[in-house]
Amino acid sequence: MAKLGIHDLAVRYGKLTAISDLSFTVAEGERLFISGPNGAGKSSLLGAISGAVRAAHGRIEMDGDILSGLGPERIARRGLSMVPEGRRIFGGLTVRENLMVGTGIRRDRAAVADDLETAFTAFPILRDRANAPAGALSGGQQQMLAIARALMTNPKVMLVDEPSLGLAPKVVDEVYDRLCSLQALRGLTLVIVEQSSTRAARVGGRMILMRGGRIVADGDAAGFAAADLLSEAYFGDPA
Amino acid sequence: MSLQLLFDALSLGGIYAIAALGIALIFGVMKLVNFAHGQFIACAVFALILPSTDAVAALGLGLLPTPLLILAILGFGAGLAMAAEALVFRPLRNASPVALMVGSFALGVALQNLLLVLYGGRPKAISLWAGLGAPVQIGPAEVPLLQLIVIAAVIAILLALGLMLKRSRLGLEMRAAAEDFGMAQLLGVRANHVISGAFALSGALAAVVALVMVAQTGVADVRMGGQIMLIAFIATVVGGMGSLPGAVAAGLAIGAASALLQAGLPDAARPFRDAFLYALVIFVLLFRPQGLFAAAGAKPRV
Ligand SMILES: Nc1ncnc2c1ncn2[C@@H]1O[C@H](COP(=O)(O)OP(=O)(O)O)[C@@H](O)[C@H]1O
Ligand SMILES: [Mg+2]
Repeated sequence: MAKLGIHDLAVRYGKLTAISDLSFTVAEGERLFISGPNGAGKSSLLGAISGAVRAAHGRIEMDGDILSGLGPERIARRGLSMVPEGRRIFGGLTVRENLMVGTGIRRDRAAVADDLETAFTAFPILRDRANAPAGALSGGQQQMLAIARALMTNPKVMLVDEPSLGLAPKVVDEVYDRLCSLQALRGLTLVIVEQSSTRAARVGGRMILMRGGRIVADGDAAGFAAADLLSEAYFGDPA
Repeated sequence: MSLQLLFDALSLGGIYAIAALGIALIFGVMKLVNFAHGQFIACAVFALILPSTDAVAALGLGLLPTPLLILAILGFGAGLAMAAEALVFRPLRNASPVALMVGSFALGVALQNLLLVLYGGRPKAISLWAGLGAPVQIGPAEVPLLQLIVIAAVIAILLALGLMLKRSRLGLEMRAAAEDFGMAQLLGVRANHVISGAFALSGALAAVVALVMVAQTGVADVRMGGQIMLIAFIATVVGGMGSLPGAVAAGLAIGAASALLQAGLPDAARPFRDAFLYALVIFVLLFRPQGLFAAAGAKPRV
């Protein structure tokens, strides 16, 4: 059974249709990139899966259970966590407090302490700045905090929206490096919105290309990167 | 400045601060200016006495021994606010901020009329804690015992609230939700739990104000919520909507300014004390329209 199943999803904002007729599945432990131009509906898709955005139509399942309609609070409890676009760090809270917000849904207190240690080991800067206001962190550090914060809910599936946005390439390398090792460590299923197909190919995984709220291609990220390189070579324009 | 004046300023400002906090707490988590807060205060006052339209009030809850009485009234305030949240504000949760605000006005009017029906419109004398007017000698100044108690209580409440916000799970969730409610929900924070908790705290703070007002004035009056609500609302605006330290600082400042004006204005001008006070507030807002301590990410939507 697929870990995550999206069936016939539609998202509308008033009259504007952001997503329509969208279906795909994600296997357990898979790494899936979602790519596509601005306005393609990538964030709306993650929003609908996480419950932040109400779907107009369709069904979303995790492990065969229906998530659609549950709302974000209960979807988080089912083990699906979100690192949203723009990171949405609680700037006035300390780094440690940011990490603890999502642990209210857990009853395994000892495991929470272990996970905090795991997060601090994966991102030593968060340990160093644990008592500093999160708003004082750099963009890259905030991205790491957002990832660590999502992990503290002990998710099985994690959605990450444009983690590379606004970060220097070296920092992006670091973010993906940690993301991949944490995925392996925790056996996570990862869905990542990433505009750059070359970046996705370098990290490795499957990729879905969206345009106008629909899926226009689905395959190995390496294939997309090669196609993009070709079109760049022919048309001098990275699509 | 005389010691007497200092105590006047602190006790008055402390009560304004507690009233302002009750408004700022709710604004922080749900961007609602709860105009019914004054009526929460009035209801907590009337909860001390038995319903009747007689001129002299017969104590009801007010007959309890003091510690129990305080707990009962705090519990009443918290319960009333939580019930208001569940019955009035929860159904409006996704409505526009204007609809929420109108809802709070309507609730306030409804509560005021309920009090009028149950207790009549005349102010009633309540004799509670009669010994508290006794003066205490502090250095050169004579200060009413009640003022000292009020100041101590305000300090204790501010410390307890600060500790609760900083150390408890509900406090953490309230602070996270005040910054970004949607994000907190994505992390599994329950909206109902946080909002209900904020209303409970706010209602308990309203009850504190009610107890102090009764102890100070010895009167239960259906209108007594209105005046303090206005000042508390001004304090939350001056403090920066949603900023709790701002609400406290502005409440204290308005209390201090009020006490200073009362003492410093010539006799002829004294009836216009509040006009001077509001002029001062407008002056502050001209220079800092966002308030003294605008909370991060808490732009007022109203
Ligand atoms: N909250 C919203 N209200 C109205 N329109 C929205 C909202 N969010 C996104 N949209 C619109 O929906 C479409 C898809 O947006 P989005 O999902 O953010 O795309 P992407 O993440 O791929 O850039 C765009 O046309 C965008 O303008
Ligand atoms: Mg997006």
